[in-house]
Amino acid sequence: MNKIFNPNKSKIYFDQYLFISISLLSIMGLLFLYSASQGSTETIIKQSLFVVFGLILMFVLSQPDPDFYKNNALFFLILSIILIFLTMLFGKEVNGAQRWLDLGFFTLQASEIIKIALPVFLAAYLYDKPLPINLLQTFITLVLILTIVNLIRVQPDLGTSLVILVAGLYILFLAGLSWRFIGISFGIFILSLPFIWNNFLEPFQRQRILTLLDPSADPYGSGWNITQSKIAIGSGGLEGKGYQMGSQAHLDFLPETETDFIFSVIAEEFGFIGVCILVSLFIFILLRCLYLALNARDRFCRLTIGGLSLLFISTVFINLAMVVGIIPVVGMPLPFISKGGSSLLSFYIAFGIIISMATHKKLMQR
Amino acid sequence: MIDFKERYSEKKHFFRRLILICTFFGALFLYLLFKTFSLQISSYTDYELAALKNKTREVLIQPRRGIIYDRTGEIIVNNVPSYNLILNPSQITDLNNLLLEIQTIINLNDSDILYVKENFKIRSKLNRELILKRNLTKEEIARFEVRKYRFPNSYIAERYSRENLFPYLFSHSVGYVGNLNDDSLQEILSLQDLSPKETIFKYSNGFLSGKTGIENVYDQELRGFFGKKIYEVDASGRLLKEIDTIPAIDGKDIHTSLDLKSQKVAFRELKNRRGSVVAVDISDGAIVTYLSSPSFSVNKIANGLSQNDFNELIEDKNKPFFDRAAQGRYSPASTIKPAIGLFGLENNIIDWDFTIDDPGYFELPEDGRIYRGWKKGGHGKINLQDAIIESSNTFFFSLAYKSEIEELIKHLSYFGFGRNVCLDCFLPDNGLLPNPAWKMNTLNFGWFKGDTVNLGVGQGYMSATPLQLAYYSAFIANKGALNKFSFVQDDKTFPKDVFYSSNIDDKDWEKIHKSMIGVIEQPKGTAGRLRELKDYIIAAKSGTVELVSTDTKEDYKIIREEEAKRDHAIIVAFGPMPNPKYAVSVVIENGESGGSVAGPVAIEVLNSLLDYE
Repeated sequence: MNKIFNPNKSKIYFDQYLFISISLLSIMGLLFLYSASQGSTETIIKQSLFVVFGLILMFVLSQPDPDFYKNNALFFLILSIILIFLTMLFGKEVNGAQRWLDLGFFTLQASEIIKIALPVFLAAYLYDKPLPINLLQTFITLVLILTIVNLIRVQPDLGTSLVILVAGLYILFLAGLSWRFIGISFGIFILSLPFIWNNFLEPFQRQRILTLLDPSADPYGSGWNITQSKIAIGSGGLEGKGYQMGSQAHLDFLPETETDFIFSVIAEEFGFIGVCILVSLFIFILLRCLYLALNARDRFCRLTIGGLSLLFISTVFINLAMVVGIIPVVGMPLPFISKGGSSLLSFYIAFGIIISMATHKKLMQR
Repeated sequence: MIDFKERYSEKKHFFRRLILICTFFGALFLYLLFKTFSLQISSYTDYELAALKNKTREVLIQPRRGIIYDRTGEIIVNNVPSYNLILNPSQITDLNNLLLEIQTIINLNDSDILYVKENFKIRSKLNRELILKRNLTKEEIARFEVRKYRFPNSYIAERYSRENLFPYLFSHSVGYVGNLNDDSLQEILSLQDLSPKETIFKYSNGFLSGKTGIENVYDQELRGFFGKKIYEVDASGRLLKEIDTIPAIDGKDIHTSLDLKSQKVAFRELKNRRGSVVAVDISDGAIVTYLSSPSFSVNKIANGLSQNDFNELIEDKNKPFFDRAAQGRYSPASTIKPAIGLFGLENNIIDWDFTIDDPGYFELPEDGRIYRGWKKGGHGKINLQDAIIESSNTFFFSLAYKSEIEELIKHLSYFGFGRNVCLDCFLPDNGLLPNPAWKMNTLNFGWFKGDTVNLGVGQGYMSATPLQLAYYSAFIANKGALNKFSFVQDDKTFPKDVFYSSNIDDKDWEKIHKSMIGVIEQPKGTAGRLRELKDYIIAAKSGTVELVSTDTKEDYKIIREEEAKRDHAIIVAFGPMPNPKYAVSVVIENGESGGSVAGPVAIEVLNSLLDYE
């Protein structure tokens, strides 16, 4: 926590640990992306603009008092739900998925906005409720979470909807959801798995899960992506093949190198050492956030920081677990590394909010 | 508002849950790192190999097949270059225009154009060449070469075709090549630890394999070893750059003992009659002449025959495909007589002075059955030497009658009958040396004494191939010691088959030779007509294979109206005497007279081999 006092007595709110580590990640991301995009200057210039804009946005969003977010949480949530509906009505369809809203200068993925808005709203909603929350509040929040998750799921965007679900659940968990309730819900979830399998998953999503269980069943078909990804990672070895030297990435064996499978490129070119450094950076950011959460000024800030940072680390984990072959291919970018506007900006926004929550102290506390 | 105590307990509670979540994610990321570790460190070699396999593509290089020579160094089978026009599709932008331009100088037919158009896109994408036209003529090559600056993305490449320079002479001995089927290809490649599918061909006809004759028997030597080019490829299979080349090792050339000159003579003398000529060098069993007639063009077969032409060959009643030399079964007839005589000497049944009175027939004491000779009234008082010269049947009937069948069979197998006598012939037949067990098994009849009597003149169940007859001839010529036959003698040091006997010595062999010389040289000999055809001494024994048994000459005259029922003509001969170099057997189906029909062919072949033309 750092408060820089300027001569005009107005403060600048800033956390150098997060700022430096996120900037470092972003710069590394640009380098990785340059290799993954086969040296496309256009991609890099575009991504650089997003990174610079994102860092500025993060800085700007860390200045308002947390009360600003708390008081406007409902407004942000409603706004993002409207965006979701607009996407469903006017959205651009790419590869059979309607996820993008064309704003002329920028194609917005509304699910990336609601990903942030929902946890903030939940934290604001639970701010003044007696803890642990009662059954009614649990029920209301769960319905809200599941409704939004389902809105995203039908786009279809399984990955993002999954992340939103877990982000909502983190908030409830941190707010002190009783273990009994957790146990019962988990039981119900397990029992309803066959129902979910049959009714909520698209055929291609089911195929992806089957592929995960046995990628060798169809190595050139549905198993191609994960097979090639494993070959790329495995052939990286300890030290990697060297920057821009990955044959899997550069001879087109790896799919989606700029987005979902960028980690495979990193693992191929920088090896296990590179993987460890990258993962350490992600873990460092998480730990820093959790530390900040513990010392935040009130429950709203704690829950928001906790929820958003866990959202971040979940995204990271899902992406890495997917390319390594632990979980099915769901379509999930690697935060600050993968190409893409909305998802990249959403994490700068999230960390802007986190820094705001962490650096503002109530006067009465001091 | 929440009071301080509550705030404190809430914070404690929050802290506990954070710790839980930290532990949870700690475990997840540890597992993730463990998984990455196992991919990158534990299974590194597997995945490194997989990545290498991914990005490299091996392309076979076909080896050049060995050349086949005759014994004087004349080329029999060669690789004749043919020229194909090749396109490089990945560099070509306007195919139609290019085809139009090429058509102004080279005639392209519709199927060529269709093939190119159909394969252009994929070949271009994969960066592979495309054959526009095969077997360009000299004019086409010249016209293209002059204008080749106009076609930077097309070129003329050399491809071979396998060609027998004497397509009718060596059809059965050298044989022909055909396309290799996939299974055999896999087998050959697996021997070399190769598995690629793509190939840079040296031959227009693709993968070749020897189907018959020397091409088949020496396929492995002739074939050579495939090389390979290793390319870097991308995921779509496009060739990016050449990484390494392991050149193909060309097949070994084969130097055979075949003699072009005598082969030509044999072909000329047989005049496309059904029959066979086999001649060998008796010193080492090297086959010098090997002809089965009628013949066919191996080049037509190897380079693709129309269905019509093929059917014609298959249905031809003279069966040109049939290798009579190695697979034709003929009764040895009277040619067997010297061997039977040797059996009598060996077993002390007769000696050179032993005579019988030949009334022209032999009567089987058991049932009074009559076995006739060829000469009415018989040969009178006759000994072994004259019995061979005049070909007395009665003498050998009565000698065989006194023989033990199992002993006789054993004796005859020394002379090459009933067994394979060739080391590198293509599918040789063993002929048939009958014995009582064989007769019981196949005909369900017991062995009669009469069967043994028939064997005495080479008739009955016994049959031999011309190859075996040549072996028999050479075995006598070399006085009971001979190498197995072969077309190729390189590094072959096999022991000779030797006939051991305490009762037969050099003098006996010389007397047998003398008797066989008498067949030609003596006035009473059965092949006296051959005397004038040569300037040196030859030993021989002729035979006439009866296909239908007749009692009188008049009966035979009726029979011979039908060509297929006429007697086969056979002769075995060797010379020059007294130090023979070559032995020969000639069979002419339905040729009637061993001495006067088969004989001249044998003489001409020996003349050619001995340079007495």
